[in-house]
Amino acid sequence: MLVAKNLSKSYKEVKALTDVNLNIKKGELYGMLGPNGAGKTTTISILSSLLKPDDGKIFYEEKSLYQNLSECKKLIGVVPQEIALYEDLTASENLKFWGTMYGIKGQQLQNKSDELLEFLGLADRKNHKIKTYSGGMKRRINIAAALLHDPKIVFMDEPTVGIDPQSRNLIFEVIEELHSRGLTMIYTTHYMEEAERLCDRIGIIDEGRIIAEGSLDELKANSSIKEEIHLKYSNPNKNGLEQLTDRYNGQLLVNQDHLILSSSQANADLPELIQLCSQSELLLDKIDIRSLSLESIFLELTGKSLRD
Amino acid sequence: MFTIALKDIKQYFKDKTAVFLSLLLPIALITIFALMYGGIGKSGKSRPINLLFTDQDKTDLSQEVFSKLDAEEGLKLEPKSYEEAETLIKKGKRTAVLVLYKGFQDSVEAGKKIPMELFYDEAKEIEMGLLQQALWSNLFGVTMKKGIKGKVNTWIKDKNPDLSDSEIEDIQAQVAEQFEGFNNSEEQSEIEENSELPMTALVGEKKNGNLGLVQAIAGIAIMMLLFSVSASGASLLKEKEDGTFRRLLIAPVSPSGILYGKMLSTLFMAVLQLSVMFLYSWLVLGLDIFINLPALILMILCAAIACSSFGIFMASVCKSRKQVESLSTLIILVISAIGGSMMPLFFMPAIMKKLAVISVNYWAMEGFFDIFWRQLPLIDILPKMIILLGIATVLTTISVISFRRNLLKMV
Repeated sequence: MLVAKNLSKSYKEVKALTDVNLNIKKGELYGMLGPNGAGKTTTISILSSLLKPDDGKIFYEEKSLYQNLSECKKLIGVVPQEIALYEDLTASENLKFWGTMYGIKGQQLQNKSDELLEFLGLADRKNHKIKTYSGGMKRRINIAAALLHDPKIVFMDEPTVGIDPQSRNLIFEVIEELHSRGLTMIYTTHYMEEAERLCDRIGIIDEGRIIAEGSLDELKANSSIKEEIHLKYSNPNKNGLEQLTDRYNGQLLVNQDHLILSSSQANADLPELIQLCSQSELLLDKIDIRSLSLESIFLELTGKSLRD
Repeated sequence: MFTIALKDIKQYFKDKTAVFLSLLLPIALITIFALMYGGIGKSGKSRPINLLFTDQDKTDLSQEVFSKLDAEEGLKLEPKSYEEAETLIKKGKRTAVLVLYKGFQDSVEAGKKIPMELFYDEAKEIEMGLLQQALWSNLFGVTMKKGIKGKVNTWIKDKNPDLSDSEIEDIQAQVAEQFEGFNNSEEQSEIEENSELPMTALVGEKKNGNLGLVQAIAGIAIMMLLFSVSASGASLLKEKEDGTFRRLLIAPVSPSGILYGKMLSTLFMAVLQLSVMFLYSWLVLGLDIFINLPALILMILCAAIACSSFGIFMASVCKSRKQVESLSTLIILVISAIGGSMMPLFFMPAIMKKLAVISVNYWAMEGFFDIFWRQLPLIDILPKMIILLGIATVLTTISVISFRRNLLKMV
C-alpha cells in the first residue's frame, strides 16, 4: 500500500529524519511509537505530501507520490494532532466542507457525512457548533473529516492527545472498527499502551530514526529483557532513588510513585533490588513481576523513557 | 477555491454581531464625517494656488493683470486657452480659470463694465476662498486705477471742454498723486461695480448631495474597508494557527487555490460592505447613487479588488495575526491620512498631495469624486479603475510569492 524509501529531512542544522524506510501493507495498522520530538509528525507530514523530504522516495500503490500528487492525495486521509476544524461551524458543515475539498458533492456527501456521524455516535449533535463540543467529541469529528472521501490509507497523528480515558476508549473502538473493515492506518503515539492495544506492527522511532520494527511479539522476542519488576514506594526519597538509578543505569524507570526495572531474570534480580531499596531507605508498598512492555524495550534501545 | 470562499463567507455570516458591527461602524463614521465636512469652506491656510489664465484680449492691460497676479506669492498662473482650462477643471486637475474677454482694456479705460469671468470647481471651496482674496486685491487694484483715470478724463472733458490734451494730462497726474487718499465715493462704487468678477461653477453645478457627503462616504468607506479586509485576510493566519491550514494543504487543492479562495471571500465581503455603505448614503444621506450606476458598480468592484489584495498581502507577509493587526492598523492609518480619507486633500501641503498617489484610498476616492462630484463619463474614470486594478495586481503577485515562501515553510 505504502512504501517509503530512505526518507531524510533536516531543518537547518537539525536532522529531523534519517533514512526512514517503511513498507505498510494493505489493511495493516502500523504504529509509530516514540517520544515527543522523535520525528513522528515530520514523517506523517512527508508521507501526506505536506513536507518535501530532502531525500527519499514515496510510493502509494506503486505510484510515486510526487509524480501523481493529486491522485495520491485522494488516497490519503490525515487526522492531525490538533483539532483541525472550524469551531464556529457545525459538525455537519465542517464535514461537508472537508468532503467538498475532496470533490464529494450533493447527496453522496450528505449520505457519507450522516453515516460517519452515526458511526461516531454524534448524529444527534450534528447541527451544533464545534465550539460547543467536548474534547473527545471534537477528536471524533477530527477523525470523521479524514474519512469522508473513503481514503485507502489514514494517518492518525496522536489522535487521543488531551482527552479523558472514556473518550480515549471510544476512539480506540472507532479505530478498531475501521481496522476490522480493512482500512490501512499509520498511528503515531507516545503511549505504549495504545501501540500495544491497537497496532499490528510497531516502528519505534527516536531522534528521526526507526530503531526497531515488528509486531509486539517480534519486538519482545528480539529484546534481551524478558520481564519487568514493578516496585511501588511510599516515600519518594530523592537520594535513595539516585543511588538506584546509578546502580541500574539504563535499566530502571523512575515514575512518580513506582520503579520499573527491566530484567532478563526477574526472580534472580529481585532480592538484590529489595536489599538496595532497603539501604536507600525506600519504603516499598507493593512488588510485582510483569511481562515485558514496549516501555522497557524503548528504554533498552535508547536508554531513556518514552515520556522524556 | 470556491469551496474555501463559500466556507469563509458562511463563517463571516455566522457571527451576526460581528457582521452588524462591521457594517454599523463605517455607517456611523460616514454619518459623523458627513456632518463634519458640511462646514467645509470656512477656514483654510495660505499656500500657492494654481490659477489658469485665459487672455482673449491680449492687450497691455491684460498682460499687466497677468504679471501682477503672477507676481503674487499665493498664486501660480498658467496661461491656457479656455477649452484646455475647462477640461483641466472638469477633470479635477485645476481649481479655476480667470478669463479676460476681448474688450477688457477698452472697457476698463472707458469705465464700463469689465468683461471678465472666473470659472471654478465648487469642490475646492477653501482654495476658492483664498483665490478670491488674492484676485480681489490684485485685479481690483489694476482695474480700478485705470477705471479712475477713465472717469476723471471724462469728467474733466465734460466740465472744461476748452482744455488741451496736455493740460488734461497734468490734471490727471495731480489726481494720481492724490489717488492714495481716494475714499469711498459714488465713483468708487461705480468702478467697483464695473470691476465685479462674475463667477461660474464648472463642476458641481448639478450638485449631487454635497461635497462633504461625498468626501465622508468615499473616504471613510475605503478606510473602514481596509480594516475589514485586513481582518478577513488574517483569517488565513488563523487557519494556520488552528491547524486547518495544514489540513487544507493536504487536500487536493493547490496552495495558490487556497490563497485565491481567501481573496474571493474577502472580495465578496468588501463588495458587500461598500454596497451597503452606498445604499445607506442613498437612503439616509440623500446621495444619488443612480447618477452613473455602471461607473459606480465598476468603481466599487475595482476598489474592493484593490482593498482585498491589500488584506491578502498583509496576511501573506506577516507571520501571525498579531503582526497583521498591528502592522495593518499602522499602514491603514498612514495611507488613509495621506490618501485623503481622514481629511480632504486640499487641506494638505503639496508634498502630501504628491504622496497621496501611493495610496489605494486616493485612487478610490478620486474615482468616487469623479462619479458623484465631477460627474465625469465612465471613460474618464477608467484610468483610476485601471490604477486600482494595477495596485491589486502588484499586491497579489507579491502575496503569492510571499505566501509560497513564508506560509508554506511554516507548516
